[in-house]
Amino acid sequence: MKKTLAGAALAALALTALSACGSDSSDGDNGSSGDSTPQAADIRVWLNGTDTPQDARDWLKKTFEEQNPGSTLTIEQQEWDGLVEKLTTALSSESETPDVVEIGNTQAPTFTGAGAFSDMTDQLGDLGGDDLLQGFVDGATVDGKTYAVPYYAGSKYIFYRKDLFKAAGIDAVPTTMDEFVDDAIKLKQANPKPANFSGFWFPGQDWRNGAAFIWDAGGDLATDDGGEWSGSLESDESIAGLETAQKLFTEASGAPKDGNEADPWTPWCAGEVGMMSTPGWVTGLINDPKSGCPDTLGKQIGVFAMPGSDGSPAPVLLGGSDIAIASKSQHQELAQKAVALMLSDDYQTILAQNGLTPAKNSLASLLGDDEYAQATIAAASNAKLTPAAPGWANVEGSRVLEDLFSAIAQGGDVSELAAKADEQMDSQLNG
Amino acid sequence: MSDTAPRPRRTALPYVLLVPAIAALLVALGYPLLRQVVLSFQDFGLAQQFGRPPEWIGLDNYRELVTDPYLWRVTLRSLVFCLVNAVATMAVGVGLALLMRHMARSVRILLQTGLLLAWAMPVVASLTVWEWLFDTQYGVINYLLTQMGFDFEGHSWLLRPLSFFFVATVIVVWMSVPFVAFTVYAALTQVPEDLLEAAEIDGASAWSRLRHIILPSVRPVLLVVGLLQIIWDLRVFSQIYILQKAGGSTHDTNLLGTYIYRLGIGGGEFGMAAAVAMFMLVLTVVLTSPYVRAMLKQEGEA
Amino acid sequence: MPRPARRSLRVTANVLGVLAFLVAVFPVYWMVNSSFLARNEIRNPVPTWVPFGGSLDNYRTVFETDQFVNALKMSLMVTLLTVFVALLFAFVASVAVSRFRFRGRMSFIVVLLVIQMIPVEGLFISQYKMLEAMDLLNTVIGLSLVYVAQVLPFTIWTLRGFVTGVPYELEEAAMIDGCSRVQAFFRVTFPLLAPGLVATGVFGFIQAWNEFTLALVVMTREDHRTLPLWLTTFTDVNRGTDWGGIMAGSTLIAIPVIVFFLIVQGRMVSGLTSGAVKG
Repeated sequence: MKKTLAGAALAALALTALSACGSDSSDGDNGSSGDSTPQAADIRVWLNGTDTPQDARDWLKKTFEEQNPGSTLTIEQQEWDGLVEKLTTALSSESETPDVVEIGNTQAPTFTGAGAFSDMTDQLGDLGGDDLLQGFVDGATVDGKTYAVPYYAGSKYIFYRKDLFKAAGIDAVPTTMDEFVDDAIKLKQANPKPANFSGFWFPGQDWRNGAAFIWDAGGDLATDDGGEWSGSLESDESIAGLETAQKLFTEASGAPKDGNEADPWTPWCAGEVGMMSTPGWVTGLINDPKSGCPDTLGKQIGVFAMPGSDGSPAPVLLGGSDIAIASKSQHQELAQKAVALMLSDDYQTILAQNGLTPAKNSLASLLGDDEYAQATIAAASNAKLTPAAPGWANVEGSRVLEDLFSAIAQGGDVSELAAKADEQMDSQLNG
Repeated sequence: MSDTAPRPRRTALPYVLLVPAIAALLVALGYPLLRQVVLSFQDFGLAQQFGRPPEWIGLDNYRELVTDPYLWRVTLRSLVFCLVNAVATMAVGVGLALLMRHMARSVRILLQTGLLLAWAMPVVASLTVWEWLFDTQYGVINYLLTQMGFDFEGHSWLLRPLSFFFVATVIVVWMSVPFVAFTVYAALTQVPEDLLEAAEIDGASAWSRLRHIILPSVRPVLLVVGLLQIIWDLRVFSQIYILQKAGGSTHDTNLLGTYIYRLGIGGGEFGMAAAVAMFMLVLTVVLTSPYVRAMLKQEGEA
Repeated sequence: MPRPARRSLRVTANVLGVLAFLVAVFPVYWMVNSSFLARNEIRNPVPTWVPFGGSLDNYRTVFETDQFVNALKMSLMVTLLTVFVALLFAFVASVAVSRFRFRGRMSFIVVLLVIQMIPVEGLFISQYKMLEAMDLLNTVIGLSLVYVAQVLPFTIWTLRGFVTGVPYELEEAAMIDGCSRVQAFFRVTFPLLAPGLVATGVFGFIQAWNEFTLALVVMTREDHRTLPLWLTTFTDVNRGTDWGGIMAGSTLIAIPVIVFFLIVQGRMVSGLTSGAVKG
């Protein structure tokens, strides 16, 4: 605690020096420095949940107000629950709109195409340019214009039981997809009790993990054919990926065939899991005496990034947050300054120290070099986004993929189910 | 309208009495409703929400809606679900209200407290708890059934649509019965005690007292409560939404409420959502019109 | 009627009453039980039936910040305002439709019915725009206004049933005894309406108390959250949902409803007896 505080103070000092140069150069761009000073105002920043650590919040407020005398910055905490409804209404109101908002990277495309966010293409260079996590920038880009920038990332990786690996005679973590599947089945066979034991814990609705198998096999969820999107689950590659998933469902998983992936620490601590693919923060819950089992199975956690068929990390679904400026905000310039601070090395350093993957590639090393950091960085290195189709929100809204994977988990005919899902997606993807 | 009023007189008083209610309804619902109707004729999505001018597309939203065979399947499913749930809720609720008259005071207060607790439980909590109770792996219901020697270990209650709707019915009825029981019981307290005693002395059976004295005097309240059940059960949303997240197949278990949500608000297509809402309004009006006519006829007699 | 039949009816009623109580209360018991358990005991292959060795940790979390107290104040203001205004408006309106005959009366009744039938799920976006135009976002009055409109139709309809249920002859008799029409109404009819006012009041209270969607978009400022909004602070997709906190919070949220009911319940009983005496 003390350490991070000291770190934050140091970072603040360093930034004051840095930003002095920064503001000089931008003044130069704008001609006279008087014109570029925006009118003082209160900038409202919406951050979601408790992901952003308090240190970072304090630093942002303090630094912003130092650099923009007369202006203030207020962080208003919002919840992920109901965020889309809230943004849908608030961003449309000139009087009530927040100036800067955090939004889930998979939610962002819903708003970027709709004109809810200001165009940030011109600032991209100053904010980090090529150093920014490219997948996030791509996901927020419509017709060559970028409407949101990455805030932090976090992709899922594999947790495994060290003791069970040893007992089953698995000496090293799998390095290819085939080995991964074999190990998962081997674990299941080595542990006949409890009956719902999972070599790989894979609840039926979990298409977000399931997508990795499709992508690894070279397939995709949907493809863009000259502006016309269509489902591509029927392609040979996608089918191969779905068959891998079905193999895991039927031969390696004991999770409910129609269940969801919530609360994975519960089956882990009940001794029902050999491997599972979850976000890194789940370690914290397993190792918390109130929510998990730190003294028993918590001691047996090992992690690695899910391996792909070619030996490099498998393409998993990219997770994380974007940051954007409301187009109805009356204080565009101040909002830009706030965003610049949130992407500054100092601010991102605080995020990294708290286990969030920073928005810039160059800062990834700040995560440390333990097993967890390595798995995080490896998993993010090959991560992919859901298709950027205009109607993707409809696909997620109607839960086509949850239904598909759950039917596959129940042993249904893969090509038949894929064809049905493609048909449903075709009517939704183009908005 | 009718001349059989208790005391026909020309006075502005009734209009004055209606002013506050009408004003509140107009202000808070008038504009939003009007806008809903307008939206249903427009291509109104998120882009329009953030300022792009909407395009008038006439009946396109409606055309797209009614030509989708899935909508009709969902509608039929919703009608059946609504009927089963409304009947079950009314039967249990009115039954409990009638029984309350015959219970010992202590039992009645116990039951009323229990119903009130169930009613007062925040929806988030009650839906979560029900989801846990029916959970495939850690559910109390599976645990108890397994302890009793049945093979329910790892049984998924939501996997098959029929079983899914059974669970949904249990939750919906559990959530709505307190309202029905309370309101009907309140109405029953109005039934004149001396009238009942006189009938009993005259030798009227319990059944005929119920039919000829009790039910007629609570009829207005029964009708409005029953109507509300039909309306609410036709557009039931959160229970289905939460259960779909927990398991089962969304496509096979969508009802109109969740379908509207997934079609419109979930996907940001507000024009379409408005059209479905208008469709549901018409459906409700048609469905309840015999019922409403009965209410109005009684109104004329009153 | 022979006595034994009466007694068996009474026994059946009592048995069924206790059974219904158990079914109604089981999920509530499970909520309270869970609120005393640590997160890893709530969902477990073997259920914990009684929170022995449980702790008050979840409740401690609730009171760690002043957010709960703030939200409680906000919810109380919104709900009480809603209930008071709705009952007042509905009461006078129900008197108008059941004690007078006038042009447009039937239309008004039909409109009320149709309003009930309108699906409100998608309406919140338009209601937001309206409150924005009236500068009532993030205000108690704005939220209450919409809640009042939402519970008014049902409240008017139900109260109307209660007013009609009081025979007009009772009032006439009182008027013959020398009361004015208004006096007769308040002496004779009003007390008999108490159960109706309580039932509709509880309905309005619970509706406003638990409403989520509209409050979510209208009350965006942290210090303007109502209780159901505050509950969502325990769910966090990136940290795992704190079910213990949700259950503790929900238990606390349910308490004021019970208190409200107990208070009005007393009124209802006294209203009944006084009505019976006068009637």
